[in-house]
Amino acid sequence: MISRLGPTGRRVAAAIVLAAVLELVGAILIDGFMSEFSVRSMLVLASLLGVASIGQTLVVLIGGIDLSTPFVIGFANVVAAQLYGEGMNFAFVCLVVGAAALAIGAINGALSSTLAIHPLIVTLGVGTAVQGAVLLWTAGFPAGSAPEAVTKFVSIGGHAGPLPVPWLIPSFLILLALMTLVLERTPFGRQLYAMGSNPQAAPYALISPRAIWTATYALSGLFAATAGVLLLGFTGSAYGDVGQPYLFQTIAAVVIGGTTLVGGRGGLIGTAAGALVLTEINTLLIGLGLSPAMVEAALGMLILALVSIYGREPHVRASI
Amino acid sequence: MTVATAYPARRSAGARWLRWRLAERRETGFAIALFVVLLAMNVLLNPARFALGAWGATIGLAAPLIAASIAATPAILGGRGGIDVSVGPLMGFVNALIVQTLIADAGISSPWAVVPAALAVGAVAGALNGFLAVFVRIQPIVATLGTYLIFTGLTLTIAPAPTGTVPPWIQSLSGQLSIVPLLALAGVWLGIKQLPYYDQLMAVGSDDRAAYTAGVPVAWVRFLSYCLTGVFAGTAGLMLTALIGSADPNVGASFTLLAISAVALGGVSLGGGRGGVLAAVIGASDIFLLQSALTYFNVSTFVLQIAYGLILVGSISLNGLSAMIERWRGR
Repeated sequence: MISRLGPTGRRVAAAIVLAAVLELVGAILIDGFMSEFSVRSMLVLASLLGVASIGQTLVVLIGGIDLSTPFVIGFANVVAAQLYGEGMNFAFVCLVVGAAALAIGAINGALSSTLAIHPLIVTLGVGTAVQGAVLLWTAGFPAGSAPEAVTKFVSIGGHAGPLPVPWLIPSFLILLALMTLVLERTPFGRQLYAMGSNPQAAPYALISPRAIWTATYALSGLFAATAGVLLLGFTGSAYGDVGQPYLFQTIAAVVIGGTTLVGGRGGLIGTAAGALVLTEINTLLIGLGLSPAMVEAALGMLILALVSIYGREPHVRASI
Repeated sequence: MTVATAYPARRSAGARWLRWRLAERRETGFAIALFVVLLAMNVLLNPARFALGAWGATIGLAAPLIAASIAATPAILGGRGGIDVSVGPLMGFVNALIVQTLIADAGISSPWAVVPAALAVGAVAGALNGFLAVFVRIQPIVATLGTYLIFTGLTLTIAPAPTGTVPPWIQSLSGQLSIVPLLALAGVWLGIKQLPYYDQLMAVGSDDRAAYTAGVPVAWVRFLSYCLTGVFAGTAGLMLTALIGSADPNVGASFTLLAISAVALGGVSLGGGRGGVLAAVIGASDIFLLQSALTYFNVSTFVLQIAYGLILVGSISLNGLSAMIERWRGR
């Protein structure tokens, strides 16, 4: 069974097992770790991280990386609050923010693929400029708040019909299933994997690298913006730096979830498990009574320990 | 006959080499042009800061960023995703260790103890990064992200808030003597360039598979590049300490992305094997001069941020564009 999974499947399975084990460890070590409130809040936090990480996974699958994620999250967070505060219809606000995020992402992808520039620098530069523009617009003091519907949608105490979790959780799972289907069963999804596993060969399979890169980065921008709007509902007020922790956390979730940064291998289910693992570790460390500083250091060590167990790269000699 | 057939082959190899060198200069060429323009602008706008007597302080102001970009370079040159994102937090960690642990707690402030300590901490941290990225074979950005978090956490534990003072000799490193540590770094790098190690590093960075088949100890070459990055980052931490004159747990981390931007702006390929420390220094100077000029205009930091982002993307795009045109012409 395990051998049939292949190396990527094994990594994904490891991430899922890890999430379960951490839940168990937490239950043993910390009183109340399995309490309803604690489980609910972990699910909500993991889903918020998961939404942003879906976009990161897509760009990593084509062999890229998106450092603009935290800036786009902040952009969506602030702009949505500001526009809604000015009395704009919220559905229209989402449309505007979504279109802008798609455009930002498309610029990232088109620039890096057309001019063959490293996406690390392009996304960093574009992200920095976007953040500067948002700060300039709001003069550094964003105003406005989220509509009640969004707040309810992500509220830890919320209910999705008969389910004891807010609508965010089932919606995230549906989104995850849909995107997995897109990756596994549509031409776009297969082209994405082909692009990532062999960028030189992809054009011979009539795959346009520029089109794939542009579309994928645009999607990454859209998912980051979605996370930004959801975070607005979660925290209640706009904050330009709300996305900052997501810069490295999305990358960590992707890698813990078994997707390799060289591209072409991995998937979204692993990433969702990775987001859950990161959230559990964080909750566990805080629950153990560590100071925020030590939580950060311990998180670093645990990420390294986990990835060194099942996320190792092949030796050079294996690539000859 | 044999000479006649051998000669064109040799010349074409030579021509290729020449074109490659020129191509490299071209990538750094934009950064140099930008440097000249920005420097002229700065000197015109702000003669006081760039007066002959003020150069020490001005270089001291730019030194941490320049040193950080020098530090970021070796790991990137090693190729195959080689990068060290822990450079910034490591600088902050060295800063906190020097000011809080060494000077305030242990009362040791002699340069003969402080400088070796900073270098040693850098070397150990670099060796840890190298071990994780090369021997454990964790993807470098993830490995150094792990140590990024560790260094940040340790720094905050040592010095939870800005604190402490530094002895005069450290302060002088951001004043009249500010060029000394930079010259030391330049000297060390020039020395390394004379060693076979440098050629091996560039070979590994350009094509690690070819280097491996040619018998280059790929893993050790890369490991050493992370150690170099660590030692340089330790020096950069010392310069940061000189500039801020205290321990501040919050300034270090921001240097990571600035340093990597500077390296790319200077024309060092993030794919490895192309570029060098001089290119990184020019890129870092560009960013410093840009910040300096924009601050002079008294524009808000927000505009500065937009301009910085756009210039970064713009100049890298120009590099990419001219490379593309060259490829078309080459066809």
